[in-house]
Amino acid sequence: MQLSSLLLAGQGKSLTSLFSLLYLILFLPFCLVVYSILPKKLKKYFLLLSSFGFFWLISGELVIYLVLSIFSIHYFGIWIDRIGTQMKSAIAELPKEERKAAKQGYIKKQRLVVTLAVVIHIGLLLVLKYSPFFTTNVNMLFEKLGISVKLAIPTYLMPIGISFFTLQAVSYIVDVYRGVIKADDNIFRLALFMSFFPQIIEGPICRYSQTAEQLWNVGPIKYENLTLGIQRILYGMMKKIIIADRLNLFVQNIFDKNAEYEGGLIAIGAVCYTIQLYMDFSGAMDAVVGTAQIFGVKMPENFERPFFSRTISEFWKRWHISLGAFFKDYIFYPVTSAKKMKKLTSNARKKIGNHYGPLIAGSIALFCVWFCNGLWHGSAWSFIFFGMYHFVLILIGNMLEPIVQTVNKKLHIDPQWFVYRLMQILRTTVLVIIGELFFRARGLKAGMSLFGKMVSDFSFTTVNTDLLKELNADIYDLAIVGITLVIVFVISLLNEKGICVREALSKKNIALRWGLLYLLVLYIIVFGAYGLGYQAVDPMYAKF
Amino acid sequence: MERLIEILEDIQPDVDYKNCTDLIDGHHLSSLSIISLIAELEDEYDITVPAVEIIPDNFNSAERIMKMIERLQEED
Repeated sequence: MQLSSLLLAGQGKSLTSLFSLLYLILFLPFCLVVYSILPKKLKKYFLLLSSFGFFWLISGELVIYLVLSIFSIHYFGIWIDRIGTQMKSAIAELPKEERKAAKQGYIKKQRLVVTLAVVIHIGLLLVLKYSPFFTTNVNMLFEKLGISVKLAIPTYLMPIGISFFTLQAVSYIVDVYRGVIKADDNIFRLALFMSFFPQIIEGPICRYSQTAEQLWNVGPIKYENLTLGIQRILYGMMKKIIIADRLNLFVQNIFDKNAEYEGGLIAIGAVCYTIQLYMDFSGAMDAVVGTAQIFGVKMPENFERPFFSRTISEFWKRWHISLGAFFKDYIFYPVTSAKKMKKLTSNARKKIGNHYGPLIAGSIALFCVWFCNGLWHGSAWSFIFFGMYHFVLILIGNMLEPIVQTVNKKLHIDPQWFVYRLMQILRTTVLVIIGELFFRARGLKAGMSLFGKMVSDFSFTTVNTDLLKELNADIYDLAIVGITLVIVFVISLLNEKGICVREALSKKNIALRWGLLYLLVLYIIVFGAYGLGYQAVDPMYAKF
Repeated sequence: MERLIEILEDIQPDVDYKNCTDLIDGHHLSSLSIISLIAELEDEYDITVPAVEIIPDNFNSAERIMKMIERLQEED
């Protein structure tokens, strides 16, 4: 008998969903009970153990990638820190005029170490995730050029969540280099920061300064945290299994049959997919934040009601916030801060003014960000197109900004006028939905044909109840989705106005609070998409 | 400080730089304005602003920007 089958390695794949019965009925309650019983000083070690157990159950032997990643950043962090300490003691002994040159030497050494660390981590991700895409395209190129060489397409087993924990590792090592944090000499604390089980599958991509200390200093579970955490998990569960999962088969049928349906139906499919993706991913984030809250850990939020955004640029500050912040801090500003870029900005400002001057360097950096963003989501041309689509939209937005402002002034349009803001929100939503159509399509070619059909044949003549049934979406399904969407919309609107529903409810009497909680549980049990006629849907962002 | 406010007004006019304390958090300065500002500060004050310094806390008010400039001048 294999060791892996004895230890259940990789046998708990359904744990990838934080809404699976295995997670909610077995894993999480077991963790909470044992965690509560253990003395305070052992709680953090138990969290670490359960995190590795969780990863082991999902990924089996592939846990080695996570372990190596932790050892690697621990070692590189200490190395960078040691060079810093050597630098301080060395320059303290030097006369002032020699200090700058000596300092530069040590900084160069640190830069080499951090580059090596980043190359190893990103390089591994590139090899595992992108080499099949790369070799497929090289083979196609060879074929077109008439070269009769065919490279073997490599296939690698990749642990789930590698795209997330690799970025977390890179942020740690770069932050140590930048002096934002001290290198952690406690490998267990670093391991818990890297592996905390609710977040390892879909993020958020946390910075060491955001969660490491909190996780290491966890204490007894508080009643308030427990109830607020459970509420948040249930809210996420409602989004995921009532809205996202109920839309799954409908969306799948429209996209898998490519451009067979008329344009109006494809547009409905794109709208439903956008809703599905948002409810799936933000629902999962609710479960992550809620679970962490039970342990008394405050996770950074990954969504801030993105569909209230007035521009594409704002949308990306509210959607997958931790990924956007990563790209901003580790790509956008480093690119624009490069010496040549600064010079370019200075010169351009003098020639073409304050708005368009920095736009050149900004656009180069933005291109890098969106190229990486597209690629991060997957190794396919459709993802690169998705990145470039948003790059172009943001670029156009930046270029037109002064013109729009002038026109508004001349026409006496107040940008804060409700109707104007609503139009901006609708425009942004439509542009996002078009982007998601390409994102979901099976390849760039399929995306183009779906988009072409949507534009050229925009009608609803064939949409009737029979067709909806054929697409696994009857009126009952759509009505439940619609009602739940209204609930989510009202809560989001209140949040947007600065009213936190959970906090407001916590001030109400106990009967009302528990009554609503039971009602929510009942609502999920009755209307959730599970059992006969539904497929269990894996978390959509876990595959990235 | 007056020179700094002049630079800020040149980059993005119509903001009360003497009193505003949420230049970044209140979206008064965009990322493009920040790029311009950094290039200008480096020329004017002979400093290097590394990417790690580009955080809201350092740019939320003219006073905070000045403090960052002075710190970077000292470190240099």
